[in-house]
Amino acid sequence: MPVLTASLAFVIFGVGIASGALGSLLGLGGGVFLVPFLNLVLGFPFGAAAAISLTTVIATSSTVSAGRAGKQLINMKLGMLLEVATAAGSFLGGVTAQFVSQSLLQKTFGFVAAAVAAIMLTRLRRRNVILDPSVDPGLLGGRYHEEESGGDVTYRVKRLPVAILASFLAGNVSSLLGIGGGIIKVPVLNAWCGMPLRAAAATSAFMIGVTATAGAVIYYGTGQLEPALAAAAVLGVQIGSWGGMRFGAAASAKWLKVMMAIVLFILSAMMLARGGR
Amino acid sequence: MKLERAVGAVLRAGVTISTACMVLGLLVTLSAGEGSAARLLLHAGIIILLATPVARVIVSIVQYVIARDWMFSALTTIVLVELAASAIAALFFNRRL
Repeated sequence: MPVLTASLAFVIFGVGIASGALGSLLGLGGGVFLVPFLNLVLGFPFGAAAAISLTTVIATSSTVSAGRAGKQLINMKLGMLLEVATAAGSFLGGVTAQFVSQSLLQKTFGFVAAAVAAIMLTRLRRRNVILDPSVDPGLLGGRYHEEESGGDVTYRVKRLPVAILASFLAGNVSSLLGIGGGIIKVPVLNAWCGMPLRAAAATSAFMIGVTATAGAVIYYGTGQLEPALAAAAVLGVQIGSWGGMRFGAAASAKWLKVMMAIVLFILSAMMLARGGR
Repeated sequence: MKLERAVGAVLRAGVTISTACMVLGLLVTLSAGEGSAARLLLHAGIIILLATPVARVIVSIVQYVIARDWMFSALTTIVLVELAASAIAALFFNRRL
């Protein structure tokens, strides 16, 4: 564990800004960039890196969801139902993380990042089916106003068991690897469960606050969470994701997906190389 | 709608207070060095941040109970129990280490 100094706090603050900006541009959350940097570049133990990252996830989730609440983009009913699964997964992941080796965690991170990148690339041309606004959204579906098209989008939630399973896995991975877990949930909710991408992303961002808390509390209890560095990272990520959201709207979705897949493959290779040593 | 507004207010308040504690804690650390005041502020910032989603879940339970939506009252209560399980695990690890 590197020694706590003012310059280290500034470095982490800066890395937080970059991760937050990239994360919000790509809709990933900053953790997927923050964890490899802290672990591979700064030499933090994996658990300490995951702990810092999880606190930034809670902050981002809370800020973003507070801003969106009331606009109906977040499907709160579905979110709260799926939280039962993510929080259980996250609790188990947080406990498991205390007993597994760092190299296993690095390898897992590598595989998850590569899988996500592959899913991203295969879905480049997929578009969401926008349903007729007269459709009944059912108990768990939703309806929101889309600013780009100026119309109302209505959707029903399909294959609920798949969503529940994906949420459990996402919770598990979140605590183990220090990421939000949106990279698992959003593609699944979008591809298999009938949710438009924006609603899936907003609902996932809403849930990850609870998911990350279930994991972060455990890291805090084990003493792996250094408050000064977590605070520096949280402030950096908040500033970065604010900037990313402000200036990211102009970027094209397809280009962003390709860029995100490339970044994920690189991170995956780095983690696998380190974990395999 | 009432639920969304209540949830939004809780999240905004939690983030604002915890961010304020963290900024103050870092400023005190940078100007006066690591002291008990700085550590207290930084730990308070982290604990308030961790408590924010928990508070959001509690507010949701209250709103669902008021709306007599028993299924969602039960589901959100399960989430709260799971968060409590994590806190208990944290205490367990803390004692052991």
